[in-house]
Amino acid sequence: MTDDGKQRKSGLTAFLDLCRETLELGGKTLDFLSTAMRQMQAPRRPPEPLAKSGRSEDRELETEAQIQRRERIGTGLVICFFLLAVLGGIGFLIAYWSGRNNTQVLGGSLALFLCGMGITLVLWARLLVVQKEAVEQRHPLQSSPLAQKVAAKAFCDGAHDIRRRRLLAWMGVGGAGLFGAMVLSLLRSLGMSPDKSLYSRIWKGGQRLVTSDGKPLSLSSLETGSMVTVFPEDQIGAERAQTILVRVKEHLLQLPSERAGWAPSGYVAYSRVCTHAGCPVGEFEAEQSILLCPCHQSTFDVLRAAAPTGGPAARPLPQLPLYADADGTLRAGGGFTAPPGPGFWGIS
Amino acid sequence: MITEKIARQASEAIDSRLRAAKFIRTALNHVFPDHWSFMLGEIALYSFMILVVTGTYLALFFHASSAKVIYNGSYHALDGQKVSVAYRSVLNICFDVPAGLLVRQMHHWAALIFLWAILAHMARIFLTAAYRKPREMNWLIGLTLLVLALVNGFFGYSMLDDLLSGTGLRIGYAILISIPLVGPWLAFLFMGGTVPNPATLPRMFALHIFLVPGLITALLGLHLFMIWRQLHTNYPGPKRTNRTIVGSRLWPAYTGKSIGLLLLVFGVIAGLGAFFQIDPVWTYGPYDPASTMAGAQPDWYLGWVEGALRLFPGVNLRLGHWLIPEIFFPAVLMPSLLFLFLYSWPFTEKLFSKDTGDQNVLRLPYEQPFLTAGGAGLFIFLLVLLVSGGDDFLALAVGGSVVEIRTILRIVVLIAPPCAAVLTYFICVRVMRRKALRTRMTSPEASAEAAAPDEMALEPRPPVDVHELTPGGE
Amino acid sequence: MPCKEGTIKIYLSASQPCSTPCIQANVGNNMAENKARARCRFILGCAMACLALWVLCWPASGQTPEPNAKPDGGAIFAQRCAACHGDRGQGIAAAVTIAGPSLQAEHDLGMVMTAVESGPSHMPVFSRVLKSAQIQAVARYVTTDLAVIPLAHGNIGEGGKTFRMYCAACHRTAVRGGVLAFAGRNAPDLKNKSAALIAGTIRWGPGTMPKFPSSVLSDEQLASTVDYVRFVQHPPNPGGNPLKQVGPVSEGGVGAIAVLFLIGITGWIERGGKG
Repeated sequence: MTDDGKQRKSGLTAFLDLCRETLELGGKTLDFLSTAMRQMQAPRRPPEPLAKSGRSEDRELETEAQIQRRERIGTGLVICFFLLAVLGGIGFLIAYWSGRNNTQVLGGSLALFLCGMGITLVLWARLLVVQKEAVEQRHPLQSSPLAQKVAAKAFCDGAHDIRRRRLLAWMGVGGAGLFGAMVLSLLRSLGMSPDKSLYSRIWKGGQRLVTSDGKPLSLSSLETGSMVTVFPEDQIGAERAQTILVRVKEHLLQLPSERAGWAPSGYVAYSRVCTHAGCPVGEFEAEQSILLCPCHQSTFDVLRAAAPTGGPAARPLPQLPLYADADGTLRAGGGFTAPPGPGFWGIS
Repeated sequence: MITEKIARQASEAIDSRLRAAKFIRTALNHVFPDHWSFMLGEIALYSFMILVVTGTYLALFFHASSAKVIYNGSYHALDGQKVSVAYRSVLNICFDVPAGLLVRQMHHWAALIFLWAILAHMARIFLTAAYRKPREMNWLIGLTLLVLALVNGFFGYSMLDDLLSGTGLRIGYAILISIPLVGPWLAFLFMGGTVPNPATLPRMFALHIFLVPGLITALLGLHLFMIWRQLHTNYPGPKRTNRTIVGSRLWPAYTGKSIGLLLLVFGVIAGLGAFFQIDPVWTYGPYDPASTMAGAQPDWYLGWVEGALRLFPGVNLRLGHWLIPEIFFPAVLMPSLLFLFLYSWPFTEKLFSKDTGDQNVLRLPYEQPFLTAGGAGLFIFLLVLLVSGGDDFLALAVGGSVVEIRTILRIVVLIAPPCAAVLTYFICVRVMRRKALRTRMTSPEASAEAAAPDEMALEPRPPVDVHELTPGGE
Repeated sequence: MPCKEGTIKIYLSASQPCSTPCIQANVGNNMAENKARARCRFILGCAMACLALWVLCWPASGQTPEPNAKPDGGAIFAQRCAACHGDRGQGIAAAVTIAGPSLQAEHDLGMVMTAVESGPSHMPVFSRVLKSAQIQAVARYVTTDLAVIPLAHGNIGEGGKTFRMYCAACHRTAVRGGVLAFAGRNAPDLKNKSAALIAGTIRWGPGTMPKFPSSVLSDEQLASTVDYVRFVQHPPNPGGNPLKQVGPVSEGGVGAIAVLFLIGITGWIERGGKG
């Protein structure tokens, strides 16, 4: 027991040591970086005035010869980059007016022009402009008490000249309120009331299931493990009406008892609009008999009434009751079990 | 000198009409601190300029209508297909309008870079505590600009009526309708009914090219005006106190550098537009209600919401007859809480800090371990969500199952942020201690000097004369 | 001869105990169970493929039929090919990959002969086992008797529409493959697949892919879809580098790199600045 405790303790100290070392290492790295940054940023103060580098930060320490050299080099560089920019500009004009409309040539020459000009200007500002550090006093933002008092007095004096102020205030409030109501009521033209279409269950009993080409489907249309997107006859191509018809092995189905007759010969149909974010649930994985939404990877179990089995969806896909008529044509036995589409406040 | 003569004549001409000499002098002498991190916001500003310029060009050729037509254009793989007018006009821009594809790609790349730059700028402001008095209002405006940029990016992405943007629109609708009580009304108000709806595209177009950019421009003007009025902050250092500003003047050094950066941002975006294909709508195909695609992601700036959508488990809340759908929590609640936190942060921080008066000298990240640790945790949280937004490609790349990878990511998103925060905290504390030690060792005066700015901030303000009330300063 | 047939029978019966639980595994829909089954299936599949390879490459000297008889393509197919490709050439899916793809759209005699002689991917090489006359006979049998799926020229536009309705949900619009729900079962990249293979696979539905019989996709629609896939295998990329056709994910990454580059530029512009 004591042995065990000792071991654990030593393990703990080892762990703490490790943590400490890691922290130390992190601190050291940061220190090193910050010193490096400082050295890069701060003007170098060489120990002897003689050992000067020709860098632009050290303006105050430059000799006349160095200044002349920097300006000569700077002028050369500036001219080079300007010429490059000119090349880009001419290239763009030729590329555009030749009518070839090649994005790479057009954009490349434009980028060459812009970058060339940009580098020219920056080089100019860094090498050919005398660098002076300016120090200015900030003026306090707050005005003096006197100035504040003067402004307040100006307002109050003006207000004193207004007669019947209360009436004016009431009129102002009333007018603004009325105007607001007028403007807000214009919003009504933007949309209809959401009640009607949101709660629709889309299908009517007896409607045939048709493909996007309008072909009706019968019991012999699908093999086990195949699927097709179907619509009600009167709403082909409508977003909320899209329905996925899948055929699975009949004996594997585990629909709730009240939906037992809804799957003739293993045909089941569900709304194809995901209950999570409204994407079409277009992926059918035949081996596992699951439907997968390609947007957020919610999975629905085809065999168990499209119950959500994974991913972010919480509600099952609404099911469409099916039946086959005398000549085997598939028809809807009624509307979806719930309004299709993503959830909202009053959906249930 | 001829330049001086022209300058004198021009200034005389302007001044005699506007009395602008004083303002021009102040403006040219305006001091900008020299540090790369002050230029992150400029990258965002310049990408926005490109967005406006390229967007105007594109708007001349784009038709926001979802009316159906038969396509017979330059992209033969869609010959004879029923597509919307909007989609056809986009294909027309890509294949027929001279330089159309270049401008479209530049527009899209500029949007991605705009948002990355905003994020980098915001991270700098947050980590150096630049949002403190007197700059709280500008933090709020900046955040609002971020929200507007996100929203406008989504509109632009969803407007083209290709299969990818149609998928995005469906998800946007699902998110909107999931809001308790008002969701359906909001969704119908904005989209004009359930998706797809002929009213949606023209509405998004109007918002995308007119209302939101207008708001962004106005707020951007305000943002810049406030920076101008309040002056920039300075990093701590010699001569930098709460009462001074150190840097280079607008004219000529800063002008050269800034316009140079503008051209370079333009150039990099032009290069991206030329050599990296973005959003190939012709490969995605036209939007059709029964069509769907795997690998549909939003643009990166909404990738964290997409990641949250994927990671959040399938749990919804039933309140008797009513339902709060599972999508509400990750897509509405989480971002709302995040932005609520960010909006209130400058004011929340005041409750804990002892700062008084204006704060014009920045804090370095390691000097405020709690804040930096929180920022690191938040960053890692959003980064894990962003990665989760593309977890299907992660699964494809490593050859694993998306289900397993998602389980791992669900654990990581909960564990990694606190770990990152704790680690950052200890590193900061360590660096701070080491710095303090070094300062004490090198010079006793230095530590006294370091404390100086705070003392100066506490000094009583000198009286200010009424002239200062006129805009443009002295 | 009898020895040979015997071995094939052993092979077929050996595959029996594997395939039955596999089918039952699909019922359970239990993920862990499925994964275990998939692993078992993978091992068994590998064993099976090795066995098949061994059987089919067995030197057939001394057992060849009389030299002067005209080779019967059907018999050779039944003997050598049906084990993997099915007795009607409809294809067999085994283990985690396709053991023998459907041959029902193979109309090109030359292609079939080349395949038999050279053995593409994991198909055994038959050039030493079969004589050229026999190879020709079996290829003729495949292209005339088994290839029942017509592959006329379709309409690429229509094919695209069908592809986006039924195929893009797994294979993505750029036919570069996508994820499915379970391990090792990602929808494959179609970039290098031949027209015959694509057409055969659509009808046949190997593994977890659903079947698309002619009542769902007519022959014209099938041909159109195949044409579209063949087109998108090499889509036009007028905008430059397609970034692996991954879409917003890779675009966001490139955007991030570009911004880091721009930040580097600001570092260069403000080099030495202390803020």
